[in-house]
Amino acid sequence: MTVQDAISVLNAELIASGEGLLKKVNHIVASDLMSDVLLVDEEDMLLLTSLASDQVLRTAQIVGAAAVIVVNGKSLPSSMKKVAADLGMTLAIAKQSKFDTCIALHQRMTS
Amino acid sequence: MENVSPPTPPPPPPSEGASGDALSLTTAYEPLVLMELIQRLKVRDVMTHSVVSVERCIPLWEAQRLMKEKHISGIPVVEEGRLFGLVSMEDIICAIEGGYIAQPCGHYMTTKLVVLEDDMPLSFAIHYFDRFHFGRFPVLNRDRLLVGIVCQRDINRALLDELSKEFSRMEKSVARSTPPDIGPTTYMLREFPVAKYDFENAGKAANAIKTAMLERKFPPKMVRRVAVAAYELEINLVVHSDGGMLTWQIGNGRSEVVAQDKGPGIEDVAWACRDGTSTANEWIRSLGFGAGLGLVNVKRVSDSFEITSKVGVGTTVRSIVNIGAPLEEQE
Repeated sequence: MTVQDAISVLNAELIASGEGLLKKVNHIVASDLMSDVLLVDEEDMLLLTSLASDQVLRTAQIVGAAAVIVVNGKSLPSSMKKVAADLGMTLAIAKQSKFDTCIALHQRMTS
Repeated sequence: MENVSPPTPPPPPPSEGASGDALSLTTAYEPLVLMELIQRLKVRDVMTHSVVSVERCIPLWEAQRLMKEKHISGIPVVEEGRLFGLVSMEDIICAIEGGYIAQPCGHYMTTKLVVLEDDMPLSFAIHYFDRFHFGRFPVLNRDRLLVGIVCQRDINRALLDELSKEFSRMEKSVARSTPPDIGPTTYMLREFPVAKYDFENAGKAANAIKTAMLERKFPPKMVRRVAVAAYELEINLVVHSDGGMLTWQIGNGRSEVVAQDKGPGIEDVAWACRDGTSTANEWIRSLGFGAGLGLVNVKRVSDSFEITSKVGVGTTVRSIVNIGAPLEEQE
């Protein structure tokens, strides 16, 4: 499953299209705690979070995540789109809860 | 005498001021040292403290005389420390043209004022000059008393002074001898000032380090370890310190990241390094940090980890990662 596939499965809104959009996703991390995200040693992960802040994108860039999907249909601060573009990070918003997002993506990955 | 209400200071600039979007100095491309300066310096650090003012009953011609004598283009109208208005050069010209130069300042002063507060960061003042195009702003303290006035010249002078000090410090830093533990072949040294609670820029130093290492084709796994250590240490400086410096150097097959702050220091270093212990408040936690994993994570990704701290003096954390040679050299 690529990031683009994940966005399509979730019917998520693509906010910024970065270089990770076509990357294959092998690991998904769902967390609102950036300190936890920094502990994960997997490249090209997909980060699901309900935290809408610039630091989510900076954290994602540090760990080499392929994309960030903000869940719960949260409205993003205006700065996030610019930071995503600056970092070349793919950013999308999904309406579903974090739990439902995980279920939907797991089903897609195992089907 | 006409009763004139004191002006109500507007709230601090909205989110655009905080995010820096509308600043003349945009945060994305300005040198970090300059961005750190305009966050660290407060309006009170650059303003003129001794303000020439008049009372409301003073005639406009007297204000004109003072403006000419003191070489100023605007004069606040103040009584018992409270700001009631401002007589500008334009007000004086109108008074001369209209034949009411002998009337009291209180009748014809400008009352729709935009003011700054003395503890606002300098970035707010720069934003205000950009947004309102006024020549000067009165400065109030928390008790709403006039404590100063700031014009663009004050800002330029303060920034030049501070930059001069900063350059002198950087020159000394570059000239100092190479630390023995990093070896004589050091070929890159970068320093990043980090300001307290500056979440807007938090992470930029670590991102710059990661980018520089990837450009030089160091192994991605090593780059990731160095970037994680640098990011955790940078966030720690923002969250827990009174501001400090993140220094990164590579050479002799090693990367060294050092976070050195100016306080407040850690009482129990062993406790602070334990998994899950943190002094972060709810605000920090709401931003996704402060879980007490930072130092643990730095230790995890480092081949060598040291921390020293003294309460009231500061903390120094050193993370060394054996990164080897760039991939193209290995080939």
